[in-house]
Amino acid sequence: MKVTTTSRQWQLAVAACSVLVVISGCSSSKKTTGSSTSSAGAAAGTTAAGSAPASGSAPSSAASAAGASATVSDTSPIKIAVIDAQSGQSSSLGKWEYDGVKLAVDQANAAGGINGRKVELTVFDDQGDPTVSTNLARKAVSDGFIAVLGPAESADAIAMSPIFQQAKIPYITSGQSPAMPKLGDPYLFLNSPTSTTYDTTLANYAVKTANFTKIAMISNNGAYGKGEHDAFTAALKALNVTPVADQIVTPDQTDFSAALTSIRQKNPDALFIGAEEVESGLIAKQARGLGIKATIIGAAPTSTPIFVQTAGTANAEGAVSSTPYLTNDTNAQTKAFAAAYDAAYGSEPELHGAKAYDGAEIMLQGLKTTNGAGGQALDDAIRAVKYQGLVGNFAFDSTGVGVHETQIGIIKNGVLTAAAS
Amino acid sequence: MQLFMQTLVGGIGFGAVYALVGMGFTIVYRTMGLVNFAHGQIAMIGAFLSATFFLDTKLPFAVAAIMSMAATAVVGLVIEGILRPLEARDFDLMLIGTLGFGVVLEAVATRIWGATGRAVPAPVDRPLQVFGIIIRTYDLVVIGVGAVAAVAVWVLLNRTKAGAAMQAVAMDRDAATSVGIRVGRSNAMAFALGAGLAALAGTLAAPLLYVTPSLGSSLGIKGFCAAILGGFGNINGAVIGGLAFGILDGFAAGHFQQYSDTVTFLVFAIAIMVRPTGILGELTVNRA
Repeated sequence: MKVTTTSRQWQLAVAACSVLVVISGCSSSKKTTGSSTSSAGAAAGTTAAGSAPASGSAPSSAASAAGASATVSDTSPIKIAVIDAQSGQSSSLGKWEYDGVKLAVDQANAAGGINGRKVELTVFDDQGDPTVSTNLARKAVSDGFIAVLGPAESADAIAMSPIFQQAKIPYITSGQSPAMPKLGDPYLFLNSPTSTTYDTTLANYAVKTANFTKIAMISNNGAYGKGEHDAFTAALKALNVTPVADQIVTPDQTDFSAALTSIRQKNPDALFIGAEEVESGLIAKQARGLGIKATIIGAAPTSTPIFVQTAGTANAEGAVSSTPYLTNDTNAQTKAFAAAYDAAYGSEPELHGAKAYDGAEIMLQGLKTTNGAGGQALDDAIRAVKYQGLVGNFAFDSTGVGVHETQIGIIKNGVLTAAAS
Repeated sequence: MQLFMQTLVGGIGFGAVYALVGMGFTIVYRTMGLVNFAHGQIAMIGAFLSATFFLDTKLPFAVAAIMSMAATAVVGLVIEGILRPLEARDFDLMLIGTLGFGVVLEAVATRIWGATGRAVPAPVDRPLQVFGIIIRTYDLVVIGVGAVAAVAVWVLLNRTKAGAAMQAVAMDRDAATSVGIRVGRSNAMAFALGAGLAALAGTLAAPLLYVTPSLGSSLGIKGFCAAILGGFGNINGAVIGGLAFGILDGFAAGHFQQYSDTVTFLVFAIAIMVRPTGILGELTVNRA
């Protein structure tokens, strides 16, 4: 059968269209709008957006809410959205955040909710991408959520700011870039100290306590990395120290041999890494592979198990970390949190889960004050909360920062321990 | 001097990886006339498989690499088998089919191994010191293995009957059939060989980079550019192009930090505009 040119072109067009459909189908399936996760027996309702009824043993009062607009009735559930990276390289951050938030919400719902109303969490995957999170922010507004917890990525938090500010939706983020308080957004709160705090503590330790004289820096040019870079440089400057090297890489980079080779030339005794968990781990691994013996120092990412795993336990040994949450055994509150977290998820919590839990607790306190209402009232209520959390004593200032100090930890045998100061 | 030598060795190391990816591309192109758009993703699957064998079942690195190559070759056979009915009927659809397969492989990898990815420690990680220059021992391993693989492929294609059959099919499919060459089997072997080379490239690249489902696109693009730079369809060209591209990439990273990719591809684009047939000249296959 002879295939004519026009029918061949038509076949090509059909094939191209079907491939495009497949590609867009595959990528949009990653943007799970409201992935339903099985609630571990507790009464919190996590529902798939728009249709499925609440799973678990929710009382009859909660059944009406699915998909309805936010009519404030006495018994309808309070809708909170969790917007975070559930896929991609930052997915561990998103998972930690969601687990911490869910634990707090489950505990609150088990204790009766907010004056009898259950809190309903819905999770959105922003893939760590500011473009996707902007779209999800609009969706959260139009779907009637009154508050948001997340994201863990500073860039995404900044992207969503104008939308939430206009819709008067308060959100508590786990990011720490100093660019966020600079926004002057009254609806943005941080459940963590900013990079400035982390790095001032770190610089003071590096220069005054550990007596490092030649400090090299390597950081990425994403929102978080840039914040770290600027904060650490400023902190060193305040101590009259100039870094011997200042290399910039990109957030998706996976080969750092060029930057590290150049750093090796300067023979540093400390290497500051300003990048997310996985990238920090890769930098540490490749640094050791190139013969760099400097002590690795960094902020929160170098305190995480993901860093140790990616770098390899041997390469992560001795890494210094500035973090507000050292171990789960610090005090009775952290021990209770760790026990509950372990019971719910079967794993030990760390900094990101702890600060997410704190953020959720503060949000719940705010909701109690306003009796489930949102908007400006909720915003003021959150700002007024004084809370002794797992990561510190929260007292929000006008820029949205609640905690203003961190501590120093050192990785020994793959585990973060307090540094002897 | 030290910086130059270190960058050079690192660049040649990556060049060997790109050369392997380019060789795999070129073999499939030369024997089947097919540009395999899923090649990078096949390399990624190979990287994940060897990471699993190496890290989870704790096999030695070489054994893990060989097993991964074998398993990925099987994956290549499956893909070729699915696409074969299209080959005789409408070749362009087969081309687009490989594009679709790339997407499928990436999604499958995300399903099986998760989205976060895993770091693979190098099997030899103590740095060597040669005349005061620190060289990553693993870079030398990659270069060595790449060289052996290139020689093996050349021997296979030019000194064995199977290789001659593959080249005959590429030259003239009907004539090859009429002299008794089983075209379908020859094509399957070519695809499997290409997939095996891709898996080797992915396995070698894993300790240098980071194994995630998106590893395929970056390796694929760079390998494809390497093949074009050396002369598309020319297997020796793929090797030369790969080395050239790797060295270019290494030096660009050294001097331009975060803009290294921009510079690398800019230089590549200019080189191709100046000499469109590539360094050694192209050998296009006529699929009339």
